Amino acid sequence: MALTLTAPPTTDELSRGDTLTQELHSLLMTTDVTPEPEASVPADAAPAKRVISDDTRALFEDQALQYMDQLYAAAMRMTRNPSDAADLVQETFVKAYQAFGQFTQGTNLKAWLYRIQTNTFINNYRKNQRNPYQGTIDELEDWQLGNAESVTQSTSTRSAEAEAIDHLPDSAVKDALQSIPEDFRLAVYFADVEGFSYQEIADIMKTPVGTVMSRLHRGRRLLRDLLADYARDRGISSAPATGSTK
Amino acid sequence: MTDCGCDKAKAELEEYLHNELAKADAADIAEHMANCVDCTGEHEVGVVLTAAVQRACKEKAPEELRNEVLLKLREIQATH
Repeated sequence: MALTLTAPPTTDELSRGDTLTQELHSLLMTTDVTPEPEASVPADAAPAKRVISDDTRALFEDQALQYMDQLYAAAMRMTRNPSDAADLVQETFVKAYQAFGQFTQGTNLKAWLYRIQTNTFINNYRKNQRNPYQGTIDELEDWQLGNAESVTQSTSTRSAEAEAIDHLPDSAVKDALQSIPEDFRLAVYFADVEGFSYQEIADIMKTPVGTVMSRLHRGRRLLRDLLADYARDRGISSAPATGSTK
Repeated sequence: MTDCGCDKAKAELEEYLHNELAKADAADIAEHMANCVDCTGEHEVGVVLTAAVQRACKEKAPEELRNEVLLKLREIQATH
């Protein structure tokens, strides 16, 4: 649907726009996107028992399944093992399929799927994992995370750092990612891999934009430090370890 | 136009990288970087870091998963 800004909307367009806004609003406000039980719908409001038609399934397969690789990569960042990741992705598609009637065509399907997957992960998987930082990670000070924010670098060190990061094997970057706190890792994944806006990440992670920015900043800082350590240990970087010349 | 200085640039570099700044602010940062080797270098590290993360996260879902999901969707449809 394309609403133009030049022409004033007709009454029809207005009411349609209103419905869309309401639908979007209710979708964003929902804490869990699993479909409402059918019983909660008043009998006279529902014309008949909802049936998933062949068309709907074809539409879903056509539109949603293309994101499987990306959702799987995200699930690997979330669960950190292939078997849980596969289960999580499957559960995400099942929930999304059952709730597909609530999805507003023309809005961001990828973000919608990620919202479902993140919810599912938090509700079903996260509690199974031991995470000593759980719930308090945003409140930890940088020094508690081993962050060395205040390190000043010379220009030559910095270009050597860029050079080194550029030459690191993917496995090193993946290991570094897996080792930083989960909320930071996911914020980095959503922003840097998926290219979601800060607002979209805030919606997916159900957190204020300011928290997203802080998680991103601290996550990227931790990554950078870990990768610098890795490069130094392997002699990948030509940068002097410390006390660089100005 | 006046240079916004390193402090503003450093503080907003990450938002600049993620295209989160308003046009005017982004222009300020770009203008400052044109004359500042230090901030340009810092930005370069950010760009390279993002690229490295993207490379590392290029995973393919296993083929069985695709089949399982397709099967599952059909199953659900059949029970409705």
